[in-house]
Amino acid sequence: MTSAADDQPVMSFRDVVKVYPLPSGDVTALDRVTFRVDRGEFISIMGPSGSGKSTLLNMMGCLDTPTSGDIYISGTRTGDMSDRELTNLRRDRIGFIFQYFNLFPLLNIIENVTFPMMLKSQRSVDPERGREVLRAVSLEEPLFTHTPLELSGGQQQRVAVARALINDPDILLCDEPTGNLDSKTGAGIMDLMTELNRKGTTIIMVTHDQHIAEYSHRTIRIADGRIVE
Amino acid sequence: MIFWEIAKRNIRIHMLRSTLAMLGIVIGVVAIASMGILGNSLVATVSDSLKSVGDSVIVTPYSGGGGGMMGGSGGSSSASLKITDQNFLQIKRVSAPNVAIPVYSTSDHMKIGVGSDDIVATIYALPSDDVPDMMKLQAGDYNNGNSGCLVGSTFAKDHNLKVGSRISIGTDGSKGTLRVTGIIEERGMSFDISTDNAIVVTQEWFENTYNRKGDYDEVVVKVRDGDTATVKTNIEKQLNKHKDNKIVSVTDSKATLSSIYATFSTVTTFVSAIGGISMVVAGVSIFNIMMMSVNERIKEIGIMRSIGTQKKEVMSMFIYEAAIIGVIGSIIGGILSVLAGYAISALMLGTTKYLFTIANALSVAEGVGFGIVICLACGIYPAWQAANLNPIDALRHE
Repeated sequence: MTSAADDQPVMSFRDVVKVYPLPSGDVTALDRVTFRVDRGEFISIMGPSGSGKSTLLNMMGCLDTPTSGDIYISGTRTGDMSDRELTNLRRDRIGFIFQYFNLFPLLNIIENVTFPMMLKSQRSVDPERGREVLRAVSLEEPLFTHTPLELSGGQQQRVAVARALINDPDILLCDEPTGNLDSKTGAGIMDLMTELNRKGTTIIMVTHDQHIAEYSHRTIRIADGRIVE
Repeated sequence: MIFWEIAKRNIRIHMLRSTLAMLGIVIGVVAIASMGILGNSLVATVSDSLKSVGDSVIVTPYSGGGGGMMGGSGGSSSASLKITDQNFLQIKRVSAPNVAIPVYSTSDHMKIGVGSDDIVATIYALPSDDVPDMMKLQAGDYNNGNSGCLVGSTFAKDHNLKVGSRISIGTDGSKGTLRVTGIIEERGMSFDISTDNAIVVTQEWFENTYNRKGDYDEVVVKVRDGDTATVKTNIEKQLNKHKDNKIVSVTDSKATLSSIYATFSTVTTFVSAIGGISMVVAGVSIFNIMMMSVNERIKEIGIMRSIGTQKKEVMSMFIYEAAIIGVIGSIIGGILSVLAGYAISALMLGTTKYLFTIANALSVAEGVGFGIVICLACGIYPAWQAANLNPIDALRHE
């Protein structure tokens, strides 16, 4: 039996338009984009350079606001939210995974992973939860107290995945998660993503690699700011 | 909290840069606080010298705007520039119950012992009963008879005088010989009589020797009851009834002291303000390194914002960094300023006994507080700028 919350899309875009006003003339980065993402989906977003992928990802991650149209995340319309509320939404409902890992070099692995938890609780947190998530992404225990620069690219990306998962987000947003890894390590990360999705995590992944996109269940293709497929 | 930890670690990995910024603050705090200590010690030294005159009103003959000379050509109503017996009685009446002491003074040649050099020194004479009100003795006693005298401490030291020594007054001892019966405690600078380099004789001896009677050089009112300003006003009302025919000049020692202290306070503030310039320079250096810190960490700020860090949390991280530099630098500066104050006091005032006072503690606290406030103030704009970076632009930053 499914609940009403489960039926609700974790994310939906309705006629979203994003126009960047430039001195040389307005540039439409997204043009009436409409789609929905249901709970448990694994979606890849593909498109050529300059097609609007990054703008779409920024909108999904509540880092940017649309010129017109509506975005709903877990039923909440983001257009009416303040910067503070959007920040809390990113912290609690969205997990980010970046191409270049983007870990904090001043913090060790456990601290990097538990950082979003500390933001949420506003105090020190039990590192055991961090260890648990790191074990779940198959990172060896002795590495937990190392700094990010002492780890390989694949290990750093696993830490980034663990950090994204620590607050149990509704959606995992991935920006070219294997773009900075060799094919074997990249395949390992994608296996991890598949495993997370199998356990119920909703994943939206931007990629330009068809092979990587094949790990997803559905592909949204975008060109000139419009969904073409 | 994690942002405090990040601030600490960032300072640690940029130790040289942070230390140089701290050094600026240390110098600024030392400059401000040690100048404050010097000023306070200067005031304390002067206050100590003048403390014995803090409750006096000094009445002198009116000399017509300060330019009059003996002989009465300076517009004075009193031809000989003396206070008459009648005037003294008026002063005594209006000042009651405070003690009014009539004082004669002159200077004369004198010799200490046979074959010594002829010297010139000041001689004061006042009623024997009033002497204990004016001065304290470090040796001997007040009861000096008609041919006894008291000598100032510096005078006694310079001329190797002890109780029982003899002083011949006048050229070749023409005015007689006095026996030292007491040594007066050091009184320092004063507005009434300066006894440190003088001798004090009995009124009778002075009147007989210099053939004077009831024409005093000054009257000192020791105010024990009421305040000096009221006594001054009462005397002026009584004796200077006519604006064009003033008889006396009245000095309120307390008011004069206040004005001296106010002048010192202004000088101290001015000197500290000059020290403050170095603090401003230090502040610019803090601002500079905070801006560098923000510019180096734009991408990190973008990541933080994208994963749910609030603007105020980003801001706090940079404020903590400025605060750590400010607090450590200022505390070190505070400690060093005590040492600098010690050295300056020893070199310029010749004493360090006024170093550990509440005023100096406040000067150090002011310097430390100013250092911390400057650091925080200089950290605010860079922190605000960091917090308000566009997360998308910050994430793209290389």
